[in-house]
Amino acid sequence: MKTLVLSVAIKLLIPVFLFFSLYCLFRGHNHPGGGFIGGLIASIAFIFHTMVHGPNRTITSLLKINLYGFEHQPNQSRSLFLMRMQRVKRWRRRCALDDKKSGKPDFRLDPFDLIATGLLVAATSGIVGFLLQEPYMSSSWFAFSVPFIGSIGTPVIFDIGVYLLVLGVVLKITFVMSEE
Amino acid sequence: MLLATIVRLPVTYAAPIMQRIPGRQLLVPAALLPLVLFAYFCTYLSEIISGKTFSFAYSWVPELNINLAFYLDGLSLFFALLISGFGVFIMVYSAEYLRGHPLLNRFYLYLSVFMLSMLGLVLADNLICLFIFWELTSISSYLLIGFSHDNPVSRSSALQALLVTGLGGLALMTGMILLGNVGGTYTISELLTRGELVKSHPLYLPALLLILLGAFTKSAQFPFHFWLPNAMAAPTPVSAYLHSATMVKAGVYLLARFTPVLGGTEVWQYTLVTIGAITALLGALLAVQHIDLKAILANTTISSLGVLMIMLGIGTPAALEALLVFILAHALNKCALFLITGNIDHATGTRDFKVLYGLALNMRPTAVAATMAALSFAGMVPFLGFISKEMLYDATLGAGKAGFLIFSIVFISKVVAILIAIIIGYKLFWPRVSEPTPIHHPCGLNLTIPPMVMASAALAFGMLPGIMATPLIQSALAPIAGKTLFIELKIWHGLSLGLINSIMTFILGTLVYTVHSRIIEFSPRLTPLYNYGPNSIYQFFVTGLVKGSSKLISIIQSGYVRSYISAIVLTMVGLVALSLWNKVPLLNLTQEIKMLHDVRLYELVLLFLILPGLFFLFKTHSRLIAIAIMGIIGYSVALFYILFGAPDVAATQLLIETLTVVLFVLVLHRLPPFRFISHKSKRYKYILISALFGAMMTYVVLLVKQYPLHSELKQFYGDNSYLQGHGRNIVNVILVDFRGFDTLGEITVLAVAAIGIVALLRLRLEKGGKR
Repeated sequence: MKTLVLSVAIKLLIPVFLFFSLYCLFRGHNHPGGGFIGGLIASIAFIFHTMVHGPNRTITSLLKINLYGFEHQPNQSRSLFLMRMQRVKRWRRRCALDDKKSGKPDFRLDPFDLIATGLLVAATSGIVGFLLQEPYMSSSWFAFSVPFIGSIGTPVIFDIGVYLLVLGVVLKITFVMSEE
Repeated sequence: MLLATIVRLPVTYAAPIMQRIPGRQLLVPAALLPLVLFAYFCTYLSEIISGKTFSFAYSWVPELNINLAFYLDGLSLFFALLISGFGVFIMVYSAEYLRGHPLLNRFYLYLSVFMLSMLGLVLADNLICLFIFWELTSISSYLLIGFSHDNPVSRSSALQALLVTGLGGLALMTGMILLGNVGGTYTISELLTRGELVKSHPLYLPALLLILLGAFTKSAQFPFHFWLPNAMAAPTPVSAYLHSATMVKAGVYLLARFTPVLGGTEVWQYTLVTIGAITALLGALLAVQHIDLKAILANTTISSLGVLMIMLGIGTPAALEALLVFILAHALNKCALFLITGNIDHATGTRDFKVLYGLALNMRPTAVAATMAALSFAGMVPFLGFISKEMLYDATLGAGKAGFLIFSIVFISKVVAILIAIIIGYKLFWPRVSEPTPIHHPCGLNLTIPPMVMASAALAFGMLPGIMATPLIQSALAPIAGKTLFIELKIWHGLSLGLINSIMTFILGTLVYTVHSRIIEFSPRLTPLYNYGPNSIYQFFVTGLVKGSSKLISIIQSGYVRSYISAIVLTMVGLVALSLWNKVPLLNLTQEIKMLHDVRLYELVLLFLILPGLFFLFKTHSRLIAIAIMGIIGYSVALFYILFGAPDVAATQLLIETLTVVLFVLVLHRLPPFRFISHKSKRYKYILISALFGAMMTYVVLLVKQYPLHSELKQFYGDNSYLQGHGRNIVNVILVDFRGFDTLGEITVLAVAAIGIVALLRLRLEKGGKR
């Protein structure tokens, strides 16, 4: 389903969706929102991208980081080297979409990794109470609060775990269902 | 103990990292872990021997009496030292035995998890905590036994071990809960002082039987012994660890631990002695019929476990003392012998003792270790095995009326031990032959040192029992016997009855060795008998379960969503009708009719959005339109939530509706074209069901509104969510804080469901859409 309007719109909207999902996640403790809703909003960004471009394109362009090495020449100035590196990166990134067998090290984020990380973070947040000689999952809070996020405590970390897990679950199901 | 608890966390967190590191780099940390734990437990030795006990407790879920409580006394320390000490050798041994295995890192992980679960089991001071560690050992041993997972035999043996011990674990949990309720506490160290209270309670018998069932399955007692020989499908170091010092001793530990609470009654004595005797005899008889060295050793383990149960059942101080010494001796001998079998297998590629000759020529260190271990296993002077055998004989003969019968069973078990010892310690290695079995892989130091150290330890314990073994055994005996007993271990008892019995055992064992080949020739004739054994019964049940469930599924799983939904709906309607059958409360609608005057315009607008939507839904012939209309209805419902002050629910509903529509669109092109294939009458049936369900829901909702709800929960959460939960959004505070444990369970389910969905969809894809 490749429509120009949607594909341009989603390009612009993905950061908006992601920031809004984080906003929902962190305001959840005091206002409507929270990890579950935040995770769903974040996943919608990816799902629209998948609808337009297909799952493979979503994975390669949004969930994969390609790392390309570039040798530093002996008589090359540092800034020139960095600039070339930047140029190569941008150029190669476009190539990598067609040339899958490039063999360069790439880091791909599978949605299952998100699920596992989310579960790990959520379960770990309970251990903090444990180490403070209190029952598992008793909440503890820092005395200070961070701007934009609010006060920091184990329930917030737990909510981040929920966020990641929900995002991972929805993405995985979407990718598998839309695969050819 | 703090260390032992804390160390579990890093190991758990290291699991994903360990997955990526090649196995050979993991040997040092993997072997250091048990070594450090061993050293750590050694620091407690002097204080434990002087009679102190230590307990540490962390509350976990205190409302349910579940606490992470640990208790260290002589008995736990004895087992903890065995587990961690043997752990070091097994880790070192596996490094060479499984060298180059692609999954070696995973092996270390499983083994570490298993070891830590075992340690948790012997240190636990809370009944539920003990049960959790018990199940953890079952699960981790499942992973270890099924380590060669590409081999179907290995997989089915692992599953068998898991099912049998898991079944026992369930019985154990029930027994534990009964015991906790009867004794009034879930703390084991407190329970130990309430033996009389427990024994006089009417629920004592069920609790005892359930706990015994748990211990019998774990310790491979008849009729659950069959999983243990099958479990030798595991790599040899695993068998050595599981069968000697750890897994199978868990049941023995459990019963020894609960002896002051449950033991001493007639039921206890008769059950343990009878089952133990049958097991000891059966293990001995099975052991002489095999030609696979590992199978022989596994069956002698069954026999030894039976002997341990007999000792627990007799329960006199002499028997308990013999029990502890035998545990130590058996762990050392059996582990060493298993590792030697592993060496032979590694070097020659076979474990069939009929084709192995003259191995001493090329495997000198292994041969020496084998002979020493076999001597100790046979109970020869001056090894620890001798002391333990003498004590077993003395304890059985002092057991009263049935003493002689019990003695003869232990005697038979020991005769078989001598036979096995002659085979492994002498026949395989020393007789001069013209053509010794060729060696493919030489055994390195990692393979020869662990059995050597164990055999030497058996020698050292036997030579100097007073210094090395007595203090620890004495402090381990105190918690079982309930009082401090002074014991004396010595190698030479003078010309006593025990010595004569030992000599008799040796002579008989040698005689059996001479006719052993005939026994083995005869054994295939017994095969028809095994067709009725517990193993076949297990197979029958498991295959029956699979067949039965596939039949059941073919009946109830039609594959049509509509029939599932109507089944769910009709069940619910039926249940509501059942509960309201006798007394149907009438609705008082005056209040509701009055409220109709207050209906706002925007509420009506929403209503008029939904009703025509429904109308078009019935009429449409296109899936896309149907999905879009469903989306509209869902959004309208979300708007209702907003109007009635539930923004969180509304937001979730909106997002879920969006996702559902998007997901539907994604799979839309795969579905077959939209057709009305069912007969018209069938459609009326579904309309009827839907109307029935709608009517019932309306009735129930109106009924619920009629009775005011008295609940302090709302008040509580309203008051406390900001003060204790630091949040003004009550819904979220409940989700992540007050009821965080529930949410954790829910997201775990979500993760598992995602894995299941992916597995199902992938399966369909791989089979090309065929069913």
